[in-house]
Amino acid sequence: MENTATYLGLIPLLPLAGALVTGLLHMLTCRRKPLPELFYGVVGCIGPLLAFFFALVLFFHLKGMPAEERFLSHIPYTWFAVGDLRVDMGFLADPLSSLMLLFVTFIGSLIHIYSIGYMAGDENFGKFFSYLNLFLGSMLILVLGNGPVVMFVGWEGVGLCSYLLISFYSKERENVLAGNKAFIVNRIGDFGFVLGVSLLFWAIGAGGFDYLALQANAGSLTPGVGIAVCLLLFLGACGKSAQIPLYVWLPDAMAGPTPVSALIHAATMVTAGVYMVARFSFLYVQFPVAGSVVAWVGILTALLAAIFGLFQRDIKKILAYSTVSQLGYMFAGVGVAAYSAGIFHVFTHAFFKALLFLGAGAVIYALHHQQDIWKMGGLKEKMPKTYWTMLIGALALAGCPPLSGFFSKDEILFSALAHGHIGIWLVGVVVAALTAYYTFRMIFVVFHGQPRDQHAWEQAKDAPAVMTWPLLILAFGAFFVGFLNLPGLFGGGLRVSHWLAPSLVESHPHVGLGVELLAVFAGVAAFVVGITLAYRKFGKGATEPEYRGFARFAYHKFYVDELYNALFVQPYKAFGGVISRILEPKVTDLPVRLSTWLYRWAGNAFKVLQVGYVRVYALYMVIGLSLMSLILSQSIN
Amino acid sequence: MFAEWLFTAFALLSILGAIGLILFRHPMHGAMSLVVTMVSLAGLYALLSARLIFVLQLIVYAGAIMSLILFIIMFLNIQTRDLPEEKGRILYLLGGIVLLVPVASFLIKVVKSLPATEATIVGSGFGGVKEVGLVLFQDWLLPFEIVSLLLLVALIGAVVLAGKRRFVK
Amino acid sequence: MIQDYLILSIILFSLGILGVISRRNVFTVFMSIELMLNAANLAFIALSRLHESMDGHVLAMMVMAVAAAEAALALAVVILLHKHKGKLDTNVFSLLRG
Repeated sequence: MENTATYLGLIPLLPLAGALVTGLLHMLTCRRKPLPELFYGVVGCIGPLLAFFFALVLFFHLKGMPAEERFLSHIPYTWFAVGDLRVDMGFLADPLSSLMLLFVTFIGSLIHIYSIGYMAGDENFGKFFSYLNLFLGSMLILVLGNGPVVMFVGWEGVGLCSYLLISFYSKERENVLAGNKAFIVNRIGDFGFVLGVSLLFWAIGAGGFDYLALQANAGSLTPGVGIAVCLLLFLGACGKSAQIPLYVWLPDAMAGPTPVSALIHAATMVTAGVYMVARFSFLYVQFPVAGSVVAWVGILTALLAAIFGLFQRDIKKILAYSTVSQLGYMFAGVGVAAYSAGIFHVFTHAFFKALLFLGAGAVIYALHHQQDIWKMGGLKEKMPKTYWTMLIGALALAGCPPLSGFFSKDEILFSALAHGHIGIWLVGVVVAALTAYYTFRMIFVVFHGQPRDQHAWEQAKDAPAVMTWPLLILAFGAFFVGFLNLPGLFGGGLRVSHWLAPSLVESHPHVGLGVELLAVFAGVAAFVVGITLAYRKFGKGATEPEYRGFARFAYHKFYVDELYNALFVQPYKAFGGVISRILEPKVTDLPVRLSTWLYRWAGNAFKVLQVGYVRVYALYMVIGLSLMSLILSQSIN
Repeated sequence: MFAEWLFTAFALLSILGAIGLILFRHPMHGAMSLVVTMVSLAGLYALLSARLIFVLQLIVYAGAIMSLILFIIMFLNIQTRDLPEEKGRILYLLGGIVLLVPVASFLIKVVKSLPATEATIVGSGFGGVKEVGLVLFQDWLLPFEIVSLLLLVALIGAVVLAGKRRFVK
Repeated sequence: MIQDYLILSIILFSLGILGVISRRNVFTVFMSIELMLNAANLAFIALSRLHESMDGHVLAMMVMAVAAAEAALALAVVILLHKHKGKLDTNVFSLLRG
């Protein structure tokens, strides 16, 4: 069903236009008298809010159509056409992308509003909003693109913006290095993505290169090529969504301003990988082996990140590892071919993780950029709004019924069990317990007990309204969005799954009530165990523990960064040194120097002719004329 | 017959004048021999029935421009010792002739291919003020105006260049 | 014969070129250029006679106007040159030497 909806192209254009306007104005005015912050704030928020409005329009437009025909596409122009490859700059809206669109624009808008408060007083206020808008615009291109190539445009744009925003406080070297790390690690993933897309084109691209054509032609893939494509695409997803072995950039990405962390972790960037795998569900369904790899990598990442999260002391790093861990869940979900469960977890996670990050931002804001949880404590009385909203977020993250996180996580674990992946299910339950434990460790240490830094505690207070309102809205969302996909066990109708069904290729195995109950009880038990342990250890106030043995090992993140450094970075640097010191000056530069020498020599030789006397130049002219006449007089008789 | 004799005489005179121009060392002598060329060219124009151009050649070229040149030469009061030494000019001259022989021979070849027409003197209806004026102000009006602008620019330029300078280096 | 006029024009033009090439005196060079213009004028008039049209005459008038303008400017430059360097040598201008 082809249908033209021009506002589809407008949705990514709005934030991009905002980025252009704020960026140009900032560039023009930052040297002299900067424009007022309110202006940038309002202009920066208009784009995302309008995009959200159009996303709503789109959603209801799709909702009004029959379930099997929910598909809108808008192709403004053909981008390029070379040989068999014809790429349209096209946008596509189907249930999957419209759902993504809805929460990306919604949460993005809230984060923009929150940033007005959080970034107040920063000298690069305008630049920040420009980058944020660009980030959101890139993400919208990624989501709305009608084929892998357009998706790649957004994919790269998101990577670029993450680099710009992570190293936003560019006066400190560490922040810039963190930005570099994010960008380089992402490049490795992008390399896989490009290879995967190229391979896909080589195999079945001749019949058109948007999702519909690919889906139609996917049947002709040979298993070898198909699995290779799936794994290469998954490598790209690993880079963007921080999975083993490319997860290392995400914790370092905490160097950026907190709203950026929220945006990266909740609405944009990291969800791109999951979205991409869901988009290519028609491939992964065809090759269950690749799906299993995805699932296992995901669940192992979840476990590893959860273990790291147990011992962190930086409030943002705890949340960062929890994101990595939750992303692992999502990949486990899409890996076991429960795409709607994975996407639903993306959806709920966006709410409670944005909430947690913005809450953490409020805490950091109140304590004047203090991020160490062992210097906080007792903030419950001082910051009640932040406390209650963050508590809802933490409960949702930990999987407390009936909050949103419980349903989505349960759906993934249940799907793993139902598809017969017992191992993944077991690890997942363990990770659920760990998640509850480290989340409430953070809550207890930060908000309960005695203040550890009396001076900072006395000055702390709730953030201004422009920052707390987004928290309240998100808390409401984090509490209730789970009900949208209530499974049959609780009397719901799995509405999100049904909504997504036309875009995804998935199967729902029928299992008995026993299995379903087992999954639910395991999830609740994991939550209860985790939160009880956390309460017993930290609930009444605790001092900073000394880490020994395994804990110390985990506190240093298994020394993975150091391992990567020794294994890849240093040899690479040495190799680069060899090239720059030996190969370049002695080998590759030789022809270049030779040619410059040749030109200089020729110039010196011809300089003799330039005597500077006009009559000699006239003589040269006559010489030319004479030669011309000699040649021409041959041709006439 | 008489016209052909006249042509030969004017042609020889003009060539002699030109040779004199490039051989005389002092520019005054050169200018005088150029006047000879100019005047004999005017005679040739008359033979070609170009009555207006004949008059203009005498008034503008032989009259105005040449007297301006002579005036400047005399104004600068050039002595023989002021003149540049021109030692290698014979070499340049010979080299130039060698180079120009193919050019000239080629051009002459082209000219020879034109139809042979007798240049009899035409009476009224050709080359007069009326005929030239009609063409000039009908077909060539825009170039005419541009040329008048050019003259204005040259006028101003000459005043600026030769006038008194406050910032002599 | 019209052709004779044209050949005369070619000869005069070549002599003008020779003057520009071989002489260093500014006045002589300038007058050689005038000679070349006159040779061109002769060709215009002769061809105009050949084709029995007046356009050649108009062009000759234009050339004369341009020559007058050129004379005014060139002589101003010569005066400047003489004022500054006290010489009439074209070799004084050698700023383009490589």
